[in-house]
Amino acid sequence: MLLNRVNSGGRWRIRPDGIGKVTGSLTYLTDMTAGSMLYGLVLRSEYPHASVISIQTDKAEKLPGVHAVLTYRDVPGLNAFGIAHPDQPVLCEDRVRYVGDALATVAAESIVIAQQALELIEVEYEVLGVLDDPERALHADAPLLHPKGNAMHRTTFTRGNVDEAFKQCAYIAEEIYYTPRQMHTYMETEGGLFVPEADGRLTVYSPTQHGFMDRMQLARILSVPQDHIRIISSPIGGSFGGKDELNVQPYGALLATKTGRAIKMHNSRQESVRAGLKRHPMRISMKTGVDEAGQLIAHRVSILADTGPYSTLGAEVLNFATEHVIGPYKYEHLDVEGISVFTNNGMSGEFRGFGGNQAIFALEGQMDRLAEQLGLSPWAFRKLNMRQSDDLGPFDQPIAMTEGAELVWSAIENSRLWQEQVRMKDRSAPKHSEPWIKTGIGAALTMHGAGLGVGIPDPAGGRLELAADGKIEAVFGYEEFGQGLLAALEQMLVEQFGFGASDIRMVIGDTDVVPDSGSTTASRATAMMWKSLQRMRKPFTDQLLKQASTILRCHPGELRIWEGGISLITEAQLLLTYEDLAKQTDVPIRSETSFSFPVSDTKRVGAHFMYTYSAVVVKVELNSLTGRVKVVEQQHAVAAGPVINPQGYLGQIEGGSSMALGFTLLEDAVMDKGHYMTRNLDTYLVPTIVDQQGIVEVEPIEHLPASDDYGPRGIGEVGSVTLAPAIAAAVRQASGKWVTKLPIDPAFLQEKPFFLTGE
Amino acid sequence: MSDHEGQSSTSFALHCFINGEEQTLETTAATRMLNLIRDELELTGTKRSCDIGRCGACMVLMDGIAVNACLTMAYQCAGKSITTIEGIAKNGIDPIQQAFLEEGGFQCGYCTPGMIVSVKALLESNPEPSDDEIAEALSGNICRCTGYGGIWRAVKSAIKMRGSNR
Ligand code: FES
Ligand code: FES
Repeated sequence: MLLNRVNSGGRWRIRPDGIGKVTGSLTYLTDMTAGSMLYGLVLRSEYPHASVISIQTDKAEKLPGVHAVLTYRDVPGLNAFGIAHPDQPVLCEDRVRYVGDALATVAAESIVIAQQALELIEVEYEVLGVLDDPERALHADAPLLHPKGNAMHRTTFTRGNVDEAFKQCAYIAEEIYYTPRQMHTYMETEGGLFVPEADGRLTVYSPTQHGFMDRMQLARILSVPQDHIRIISSPIGGSFGGKDELNVQPYGALLATKTGRAIKMHNSRQESVRAGLKRHPMRISMKTGVDEAGQLIAHRVSILADTGPYSTLGAEVLNFATEHVIGPYKYEHLDVEGISVFTNNGMSGEFRGFGGNQAIFALEGQMDRLAEQLGLSPWAFRKLNMRQSDDLGPFDQPIAMTEGAELVWSAIENSRLWQEQVRMKDRSAPKHSEPWIKTGIGAALTMHGAGLGVGIPDPAGGRLELAADGKIEAVFGYEEFGQGLLAALEQMLVEQFGFGASDIRMVIGDTDVVPDSGSTTASRATAMMWKSLQRMRKPFTDQLLKQASTILRCHPGELRIWEGGISLITEAQLLLTYEDLAKQTDVPIRSETSFSFPVSDTKRVGAHFMYTYSAVVVKVELNSLTGRVKVVEQQHAVAAGPVINPQGYLGQIEGGSSMALGFTLLEDAVMDKGHYMTRNLDTYLVPTIVDQQGIVEVEPIEHLPASDDYGPRGIGEVGSVTLAPAIAAAVRQASGKWVTKLPIDPAFLQEKPFFLTGE
Repeated sequence: MSDHEGQSSTSFALHCFINGEEQTLETTAATRMLNLIRDELELTGTKRSCDIGRCGACMVLMDGIAVNACLTMAYQCAGKSITTIEGIAKNGIDPIQQAFLEEGGFQCGYCTPGMIVSVKALLESNPEPSDDEIAEALSGNICRCTGYGGIWRAVKSAIKMRGSNR
């Protein structure tokens, strides 16, 4: 059944954060101000690669209205950050490795004065050669960007003997795929307010995807105990992985500490582009072979990722890509290697899909090429080689077994669009009224891992409490960046516990009050809240009923949770409001849980245990005169267990696929010799409503095996990973051309019109 | 906060109406409306994202027409009536806002005020727009979260709601 408002009935709810968002009354952290605040700005490198000879700040310091000019000399603790490997300098001392590198930070009474101060800082550079090509960065004579060399991370996975196996193959597809430097383009750029408190602590109001991680990193930089810092991190105007790593926080924190005044920072879009993370551009070479019958025999993959100047989660992204170039198919012989390379290009890092987007584009491209060589339907070919529910995962690791792959495959096989594709094959499809418009239909399939994977601490948990004012408080260390976390939490508390929405107060994004529930990343938060609530439901409701029964002088078994308070089981009648219960009981009613995201029993770092399966079929119209591709219809099938919040689920798939549309057709943060050529939204183009006039249908497949108690799988990322190869397949049908490079260059698809070729 | 501020510092008294209230603001002729609204008047519902007129996060109504506050200078507002997102719900929530709520026309919400302002301008001048007219009117409003699905549904539903309210 399609996911929409009508089919969802009463489960389609208005989001609890909706009113503030549609009326503009919600205060984002970059909207905040404080009475005597100063404005903070950062001086970033002029060059992608240079030695820093000297930094003179005295002129800037003397400018009236300037309160602080800080350089590396002023960092009390570790002058570096990075979630996994702290190798990015907060303030560079002797070398800059990309145009976003920070050299100084200033606080001034106005933004204009702060800008003037930046201009008065004199930096003497000795310009060094720019390593802008990851391949060249691996040459023996390339300058080393880091002491351990330019190879930031390597991966391999092998099975059997591919060299021998290729000799047995009847058909082989060999291709090199290229993917772009996609920008998150969250609409709210980085920023926040940094407030030194009277008690000596520091409050940081700034978006992040894991408040406790920011707290740890900032404490390390400031050289203060962690509990000296409070991070308030929601609401967030979009993140998509891009605000997972620290961005302006170190500067705001240093300036606030130094000046004793509140500091406001809010990046301009240009600065956000220059300093911020992007999706790793990858070059993925694949050679894949089948036997006469179409059975996959051998698959060789080589991934080259441009990670830019510093690590952040580049290694983890490569691990993820390595797993996802194998994907939901079975091969006897496998040889995968990946390398992620330091360059002087922009920072690459965590981004929705996490390396899956690139991997799946390449892998699915191979499947289409092989099917064509074999003369098989690409969908039938996939079925022939697809994993069965009890197969091990891509790394031969145990996984939570579901029939997800098969279910999404069948949904697409039976879809209206795929049936239309079959008919087009028969050439019975009607010709377009404008002969230069060519249509094509293509489909793709994937399994996408959720959670951080083996080898990375992945805590989860939360707390329920009856507050003194009678509110049911749900407290989680997760963040709301638009995905609808609060809506999902509210809906679970209403549907699974029986509370009314107005009984509930949700508390998130504040390290002083929330437990460490782990990061809000990797499509994990809703699943972890679900699991937490499952674990707390009985203990928490038992306590509520027990205390209520004492007050009401009855047996707890006669009572139940109801909207507004406690009611009799036999009759929907409110006996005791939560407010009265809170007033009349002197026993704290509280339940807390902590556990870990389920991981696979394997040593393979990064291997996943839970997967979401998705398949998508799209119809495109290619204008062969302009080379432009229009996606006119999309049908998504997503197997992710129960739908927690229908509106949020639909929104995640629609939004994720729009991002994938941009990845496929429009988006590339173009760099030339280490400098961004696309610096703002006039040249960096994301899809607008004009690009999204087509139909998007989403069919959720909720079925899970009876024994599965892991609940909902993540859906935050999966919408963004399967569309690109489906569009590429549709373009093949429309144009006869195989796309290997994203975004698709219209010039590549343009054809001389028939009236010029004389045909 | 932009990279191009403070060029002209000659002071300028701006008389205009903001959300129906007469205002006189001491500013400079070239100060951007976006800064006046957000920093001086502390009406932070109007958002800032690109500063160059390409995203629509800063949309406000000027005499009923949607304009980019980041591209409008103080002198251009003289005598005009400016409505920000805060002004749209002044007499209770607008049917457009209600439609965005019900259909899920937002996620992070950062584009939403600007989007609603653009829809308001469209529907006030053209109560029954075609799909192409909707697309054109909203083509300057970027939403990175929703993929526009919820926005399409919200606009269609707002058209209906307004029609039946009339
Ligand atoms: S901030 Fe004005 S259009 Fe983007
Ligand atoms: S809701 Fe986030 S940008 Fe539109």
